[in-house]
Amino acid sequence: MMTEAAGRRVHVIQGEFKVINDPNIVLSTILGSCVAACMRDPVIGIGGMNHFLLPGSATSNSSGDATRYGVHLMELLINGLLKQGARRDRLEAKIFGGAKTIARFSNVGEQNAAFARQFLLDEGIRIVGESTGGEHGRKLEYWPSSGRARQYALTGMEAQRAMQMDQRPAPVPKPVESSIEFF
Amino acid sequence: MSIAEKIKVLIVDDQVTSRLLLGDALQQLGFKQITAAGDGEQGMKIMAQNPHHLVISDFNMPKMDGLGLLQAVRSNPTTKKAAFIILTAQGDRALVQKAAALGANNVLAKPFTIEKMKAAIEAVFGALK
Repeated sequence: MMTEAAGRRVHVIQGEFKVINDPNIVLSTILGSCVAACMRDPVIGIGGMNHFLLPGSATSNSSGDATRYGVHLMELLINGLLKQGARRDRLEAKIFGGAKTIARFSNVGEQNAAFARQFLLDEGIRIVGESTGGEHGRKLEYWPSSGRARQYALTGMEAQRAMQMDQRPAPVPKPVESSIEFF
Repeated sequence: MSIAEKIKVLIVDDQVTSRLLLGDALQQLGFKQITAAGDGEQGMKIMAQNPHHLVISDFNMPKMDGLGLLQAVRSNPTTKKAAFIILTAQGDRALVQKAAALGANNVLAKPFTIEKMKAAIEAVFGALK
């Protein structure tokens, strides 16, 4: 695994997305009840990953601001891919995460995964791989150029870290500059 | 009949999910006459046949983007008076200035809340209720 060891690692944190067109880069993230969508255009080998937790998703409905936030991160990832030359009709996706890591967040992971699945279905983006749910967090690695993904179940210290990440305050959809520009 | 009910709105966005969310938000604000298109070209075709009072369009779209649609709407005598709100996924100063120069009535950054959308529309049409 020399090539992988030599490759650069780019970490994606909650609320972020990254698009990569360098075959030497591996995208990585740590997921608890959050979900990461990995998307790529297999023809040109450009891909990316986002990482989201729908804020307050336990009470959200289809029209809620939480859903809009998830849609936003999906859109940023898709736009980022298209900007690099990917074609929408060729996009394929893998989704990971949505674990039931903390009892009191029982539904959140499941809802995050369901949201991602529904979004991709509605947008006509093929899901070529999925590992969601379960009771353990995941450490995820994704090579956008090959589409290969590798995950490790988190136990012990790492699991605690993942849970801490989940317990961070949900990101408030951050408006860039002011949300509304009047002129 | 409220003001919202009288306004014909055209939603233009390439993402099905965004169109559904936008439509849903508009319905919650009292709009009844809502049409949707998946890109600028389709949006302009609809506008030319059936001019709508308000266009809410995404910026980043295939074929014809939001600014292209704005230009097309402004240069067609039957549609040029329509109110135009452009949506951006990433706040971009340059885009906002371009949109203003081309005659957009407002810009709304995603992700937005229903309240922000209401404010953006009311800034153009006045109070909806």
